[in-house]
Amino acid sequence: MIATSLKWSRHNLFGKPFDTALSLIVIPGVLWVAYQGLAWAFQTAQWDIIPESLRVLMIGIYPADQIWRSWTAVGIIAALLGGTLGCVFPFRAGHAAYLAIAMILIAVITRGSGMFTILAIAATLAVAVGGWILTSHAVQSRRFLVPAWILGLVAIFAVLSPPGVALWGGLLLSVLITIVTAIVTLPFGILLAFGRRSRLASVRVICTAYIEIMRSVPLILVVYWIWIIMPVLASQYGIADVARGMIGFSVFYAAYVAEYVRSGLQSVPRGQTEAARSLGMSEFDINRSIVLPQAIRVVVPPLVGNVLDIFNAAPLVFIIGLTDFLRAGQMILANPQYGDRTYEIYSFLFVTYFLIGSLITFAARKLEVHLAKGTR
Amino acid sequence: MTIRQEAAAIDAEDRERTARRRNNRIRRDAIQFAIIAAAAALVVLFAFSVKNGLAKHGIQFSFSFLWNAAGFDISEGKTLVFDGGIWPSLTEFTPDRTVAQAFVTGLVNTIKISVLGIVLSTILGTLLGVGRLSTNWVVRNLSFWIVEFVRNTPLLIQLVFWYFAVVLHFPPIASAAKLYGGIIISQQGTYLPMLVASKNASALSGLLLFAAIAALALSIAVRRRKIGRIAAATAIALFCLTLAIGSPVAVDYPAASKFQASGGTSISPEMAALLLAIVVNSASYIAEIVRGAIDTLHKGQWEAAASLGLSRRHALHDIILPQVFRVVLPSFGNQYISLTKNTALGIAIGYPELFNIYGTIANQTGHSLEGIVIVMASYLVLSWIISWLVGLANGRFDKRGAMR
Repeated sequence: MIATSLKWSRHNLFGKPFDTALSLIVIPGVLWVAYQGLAWAFQTAQWDIIPESLRVLMIGIYPADQIWRSWTAVGIIAALLGGTLGCVFPFRAGHAAYLAIAMILIAVITRGSGMFTILAIAATLAVAVGGWILTSHAVQSRRFLVPAWILGLVAIFAVLSPPGVALWGGLLLSVLITIVTAIVTLPFGILLAFGRRSRLASVRVICTAYIEIMRSVPLILVVYWIWIIMPVLASQYGIADVARGMIGFSVFYAAYVAEYVRSGLQSVPRGQTEAARSLGMSEFDINRSIVLPQAIRVVVPPLVGNVLDIFNAAPLVFIIGLTDFLRAGQMILANPQYGDRTYEIYSFLFVTYFLIGSLITFAARKLEVHLAKGTR
Repeated sequence: MTIRQEAAAIDAEDRERTARRRNNRIRRDAIQFAIIAAAAALVVLFAFSVKNGLAKHGIQFSFSFLWNAAGFDISEGKTLVFDGGIWPSLTEFTPDRTVAQAFVTGLVNTIKISVLGIVLSTILGTLLGVGRLSTNWVVRNLSFWIVEFVRNTPLLIQLVFWYFAVVLHFPPIASAAKLYGGIIISQQGTYLPMLVASKNASALSGLLLFAAIAALALSIAVRRRKIGRIAAATAIALFCLTLAIGSPVAVDYPAASKFQASGGTSISPEMAALLLAIVVNSASYIAEIVRGAIDTLHKGQWEAAASLGLSRRHALHDIILPQVFRVVLPSFGNQYISLTKNTALGIAIGYPELFNIYGTIANQTGHSLEGIVIVMASYLVLSWIISWLVGLANGRFDKRGAMR
């Protein structure tokens, strides 16, 4: 045991003089930082602030007595995500073990909270697994996934709206912005990508100009610009801040989606188009049933990465006065009573963002491997 | 069928084909024209309704507000001032300057952060990228987790964390940390030593120093070893000569008193936080680019270089790095552009970059739409300049790679 670990460290830590020097500098530094961090986390930190302010972090200033609306929205999102998962990775009995572990973990974390919360969490998990199993085994149900997402979003809006759209906030708002942007940008991105490859020079120029301009200016600027220009254009409708923010995000990210889709279109071999043309197919049919399906296979992993980019950019909605996850955390810190809990709140925000981000990155990598299997 | 009849038939067919082609061309031109007309009409309609909407609020769309006095102060930053000379000078912004000069102040601050960020993040990113391929287990994993953590969390929370949880928790200046080399780190700002012209500077010593630096640059840039050595020797001789007749520059160390520090150059807490956040964030993306490029480079390249008898240093310098740079440069360019765009987040912590100044101007004057046109155009131009510079560098590497 000691011999092998000595051998391992000689090989991996002290193999060359340069490595030895690096190890001697870096290892004490890492150990010191780790010690300080752990000492803080287990001794000084007062974690009671997290359960106390969890509701504000998750849903912002949404009224507490209407919380069933938020849970319904979470349930719809969970079911849809489960269903999407099932289309790619079918549910197997082995996954039930992981789910059981997740259940136990959640039960341990939430043991102090009320019966209602625990039931809601259990229901959310059950719905997610239900969606997962449905699309895994009933293959016909996969065709209804896209309409289901659109209907689901409409349902979420309908459920959450009554207390007032201005009250939306917290992590739920971040997630909603991400989902809406990811779905809305897809058709526009595909259209822009085809536009940039069009045979008509005018279409090409217009689409290229749009994409290049959007890619050269900061997102925060576009969101702010859309936010101030919409009331000027249509003052009689009074569009909500949330909707204006989502439109701003979509306007910006459509250009990025277009570039990903274009790289996918370029990866389809020319022979495919030529073969289809020699069969007498029309240009529209060629693009719809020959080129696009093959391109989508290539662009799904980068598009999932793009979803992470959108999620990571969502805190920028602070510029138009919305209370997203990060802003909710800052709101709690603005309370003088909690002024000295800066590190606790930021640790929680960082860990949550990192977990969600890692999950999306992991999914993108898995998808890449999975989709690459089918090709030569 | 006679030959003549056949020729006539072919002729007719030809004519028909040209007619068809002409028709097709006309039709396509008509479609083009219609699309352009529709787009132009949309833009005009958009502009018109914006103008109408603004008129309803009593705001006139015009750029004349740019020449009014600004009337607000900017916490830090210099602007261009034309005071008689041919060249404008950079001076501190004051409230009696024009709105246009306030925009320039923002632009100067944005460029300052971008240039510093590009240089520092390239260095840190390359180190992190090489670190991820290190043979040392600790370094490899440390680099990996830093990169993963930074890439999977939002930049804004990193920025806010650096500002509120790190930079503002530095010690106050009375008990400030003094590091080696005279750096002072405090809540009020970070103070660094700076080179200034010394009292005994003369034209001759300045010229000598310039020549020494030029020789040093030549010795680094030139690829022929013999010339490089001569240049290095010249540089050392010139430096000694400069020191002998009295150095033209001196180091100005900051000195801390009870409430403030003076001397040297200072970095405000906002700038320090923005720079830290942007450098660490961009470095993680650059690390991924560098790692990917080295990874995809074929191992055979090293082996072939070794089998030709090239030393490791020469193989790296002449074989590996030129190829890595060629692969990496376009991605670096994209990263530099997004770094420049990310400086707009400075508004979250109150650093007066372009977007923040725009916000102040829009609040003060109400001309938010004109302002946004200026800001958008500025960012577009900055992006174009970066991609142009990267394109230039790329062309150089390409040519060098092709010749060798």
